[in-house]
Amino acid sequence: MSNRLRDLVLGMACMLALGANVALAQKKQAKKNPKPAAALAQQPAYVGDPKKAHNRIAMCEGCHGIPDYKTAYPQVYHVPMLGGQQEAYIAAALHAYKSGQRSHPSMRGIAASLSDEAIADLAAYYAGGLK
Amino acid sequence: MRPVALAFALLAFSLSTAAEAMGNAENGKAKAAQVCAACHGPDGAKPTAPDQPILAGQHYDYLVRALSDYKTGKRANPVMKVFASPLSKQEIEDLAAWFARQKSNLHFQR
Repeated sequence: MSNRLRDLVLGMACMLALGANVALAQKKQAKKNPKPAAALAQQPAYVGDPKKAHNRIAMCEGCHGIPDYKTAYPQVYHVPMLGGQQEAYIAAALHAYKSGQRSHPSMRGIAASLSDEAIADLAAYYAGGLK
Repeated sequence: MRPVALAFALLAFSLSTAAEAMGNAENGKAKAAQVCAACHGPDGAKPTAPDQPILAGQHYDYLVRALSDYKTGKRANPVMKVFASPLSKQEIEDLAAWFARQKSNLHFQR
């Protein structure tokens, strides 16, 4: 084996070893922190920001911001308490009003004006993201 | 003016008595254990999935409204339709009375 050939083989071996090392390190990193990879694979979902809901809760306060407030139409009953409710449930309820699956007239009107992001922000706010 | 005031007084009285006429919470507890607990938690405070609501501490009359609307299909939810359909008016009131009295993180928030 000529010196040149030996150097070439050695060099390739080194590169292979380095490559394997890098791959191993990446694997370890992925194991340690599997979320970023998973999030990259899917469309990253918007995470509701309770602070952004502050501009919007004026729409909600008129009914949900008055203790013991009762809606009078179409029937008389207490509007639900929202503080501490499950975030995904509040979001699902607003989407159901928006789509017409839930029928309360006032809630349909309000939800129809909300973007998916606004719904996520409000759900985060009432679920307790902002104390 | 007088008749108007009288009408308001009568309305206020009827509303307050309606609020007091609650279902039987003990009967509701037994029913809840059979029907609701698996998803909403034994006292309605710990749902098993994030998109299921906390019921514990919610307003009595709102819970009655929700169950009644699930039963009639006015509130369209295939899962809740199955559970609410067999309930009588009395059973709905009993369940609402039970859940309304339980404790949870649910609170009034502006």
